[in-house]
Amino acid sequence: MIHYTPLSEHDIFEDDPTQYDQHKIVHVRGKSVKVQQLEDGSYQVVHLLSTNPQHYLDQHCMPGTILKQQDFRD
Amino acid sequence: MTNQEESPNPEEQEPEQEKEQQSKALLQKIQQLGQSQVAQAPDSNIHILPIIGQIEGHVQLPPKNKTTKYEHLIPQLIAIEQNPKIEGVIVLLNTVGGDVEAGLAISEMIATLSKPSVSIVLGGGHSIGVPISVATDYSYIVETATMTIHPVRMSGLVIGVPQTFEYMEKMQERVINFVTNHSNISEDKFKELMFDKGNLTRDIGTNVVGEDAVKYGLINEIGGISQAMMKLNELIQQQKGYSDEKVMQ
Repeated sequence: MIHYTPLSEHDIFEDDPTQYDQHKIVHVRGKSVKVQQLEDGSYQVVHLLSTNPQHYLDQHCMPGTILKQQDFRD
Repeated sequence: MTNQEESPNPEEQEPEQEKEQQSKALLQKIQQLGQSQVAQAPDSNIHILPIIGQIEGHVQLPPKNKTTKYEHLIPQLIAIEQNPKIEGVIVLLNTVGGDVEAGLAISEMIATLSKPSVSIVLGGGHSIGVPISVATDYSYIVETATMTIHPVRMSGLVIGVPQTFEYMEKMQERVINFVTNHSNISEDKFKELMFDKGNLTRDIGTNVVGEDAVKYGLINEIGGISQAMMKLNELIQQQKGYSDEKVMQ
C-alpha cells in the first residue's frame, strides 16, 4: 500500500485498535448510512453514502440524527 | 381447466388485499404526519459523487479520518452507469489524497463512464486527488482551492531498496501518465511542479492555487456549482444530440 498524501503518517494512523469499531454502515429507508454508537445504545448518523442529491434532503438520514436499533437494518 | 372452476380465481382476490394494504399505509401516514400526501422531490437526473477526506484503499483507516472508501464509490459509479434516469454526474473534491491504487481505480472508473461528468475542486484536491479531478470530461476549480503536487513517497520498513524504488517510480509514472493523458498539462510541466524545491515546508513539490491550476492546463476552468451545472447540462444535451444522430443513421 502506498499513501499519496501531503499528511504525515502519524496524522492518519493511530495506535488504539478499539477505535476502529466505532463506526458501522447500516441501511435506513433504503439508503446506506455510516453510524456511530452512542453511550445509551442508540446510534447517531455520521455520514450518508449516496450519490442521489435528493437523499440528502431526507431528515431521517441527516448527519447528527439519532437512530434506534429498530430504525435500521445492518 | 377444472382447477380454475373449482377454486376461486386468485386474480380476483389480490386487488382486494392490495386495497386493504393501501388504506392501511394511508392511515399510518395520516397518523404520523397529519396529512395523506408527503411532498416528494422529483428524481434528479444528475448525481453527485463527493470525494472527501482521505481516499481509503486496502487498509482501513482510523475513524478520526474522514474517508472516501473505494468499495463504496465503485458500485455507486456502476449504478450511475446502469441507471437510465441518471444522465450526468458531478464529482465534488475536497480531499487530502490517500491510497494510490484506490485513487487510480476511482479515476479510471470516472474516466471510462459513458455519461458526461464534471468535477469541482473545492478546498483542496491534493496528491491522488489530482488524477481524480482531471478524470472527468470537464473540470472546475474554485479560486480559493489548492492542489498539492508532490512525489509519491513511502515511510516505514523497506525490504529490497532497488526493487522498492523501482516499484515507487512505476507507481509515480502511472499517476503522471494518467494526469497528462486526461488534462492539458504537459508531462514536463507536471514533473517540474512535482519536483520543485522551496515551495513546501516539509516536502518537495508545489501547492498549486486555483487560477494557477487553470494556467498550467491541469484544470479546465475556474468556477463553482453554477458553472459546473451549466457545463454538465450542455454535455448532456450534446450527448443526447449525438445518440439521436446515431439512431437517424
